[in-house]
Amino acid sequence: MRIIVKEIKLVFTGSMGAGKTTAISTISEIPVVNTDVRTTDKARLRKETTTVALDYGELTLDGGQKLKLYGTPGQQRFEYMWPIIIKGALGLIILVDDAADDPVADLAIYIKFFKSYLEDMPTVIGITRTDLKQGPGMPAYYDYLQNQDLQLPIFPVDPRQREHLIMIIQTLAAMVEVV
Amino acid sequence: MLSKIVEPQASLHLKKLLEDCDAIKAAMVVTVDGNLCAMQQKGTYALERLATMGSSLMSLGDTITGELKMGFCNRIISENEQGIVAFMHINNELVLISITTEKNSLGMLLSHSKRCAENLAKAVSDL
Repeated sequence: MRIIVKEIKLVFTGSMGAGKTTAISTISEIPVVNTDVRTTDKARLRKETTTVALDYGELTLDGGQKLKLYGTPGQQRFEYMWPIIIKGALGLIILVDDAADDPVADLAIYIKFFKSYLEDMPTVIGITRTDLKQGPGMPAYYDYLQNQDLQLPIFPVDPRQREHLIMIIQTLAAMVEVV
Repeated sequence: MLSKIVEPQASLHLKKLLEDCDAIKAAMVVTVDGNLCAMQQKGTYALERLATMGSSLMSLGDTITGELKMGFCNRIISENEQGIVAFMHINNELVLISITTEKNSLGMLLSHSKRCAENLAKAVSDL
């Protein structure tokens, strides 16, 4: 039986400030639905606003399939939203801010939380803000994944660059069996 | 940190809210980004996670009313089998969450909560 998937739900998750909202805004063909509010705690030093529920955008592929792009809140106190948003998703994109205090630990939080999904759900990791050269660099992430016995595609990515995101989506598409 | 700054005033107003209205069993003030400022309750409800959930819900309310061009979302009411939860803006940065287990007390819940929110908005405006 051939299954034609007309709508594909992809979820962007990852640490605060990694660029989830920016990534969805960069590629969405509709005005992005977002739930950003003013940051009122010490995280304000890093970011003026933060997502507290979800982001939503859409992108139509050349074949006519519609990508429904969801973004999770990044802060861990909103993790109750993560399983709500991941329901029905066909792909997961984990973004990690390389310039954060401990980005490998940030990646570990999301790997651990979504571990039960990783076996069945195509997942790609994007490392952002590598241009600042403040983080451990790509080898640290390769080592972490290897230690976890995980083989996931991982790229440096600028969430403001459409072509970077398209590459990630193409990678996911190659992993998702879409007829 | 905003939640620490408003905590004393928020605690006072929440205490008065619960004293003034028997039907209200618990209430809390949270920031729009999900930090708990203060809470008061007559029972032993697990309210900690409600701070972040309340901020998510209020933001979704604002997003929905914005989508429909209905202006600012004043409040969200959750009517449930065993009670009612009301979420309302105090100002641009704070949200009041109030809870009753009496299903017929929506009016009391809203009127007292609204007054509390207005008074607290005035009290924290100079902080």
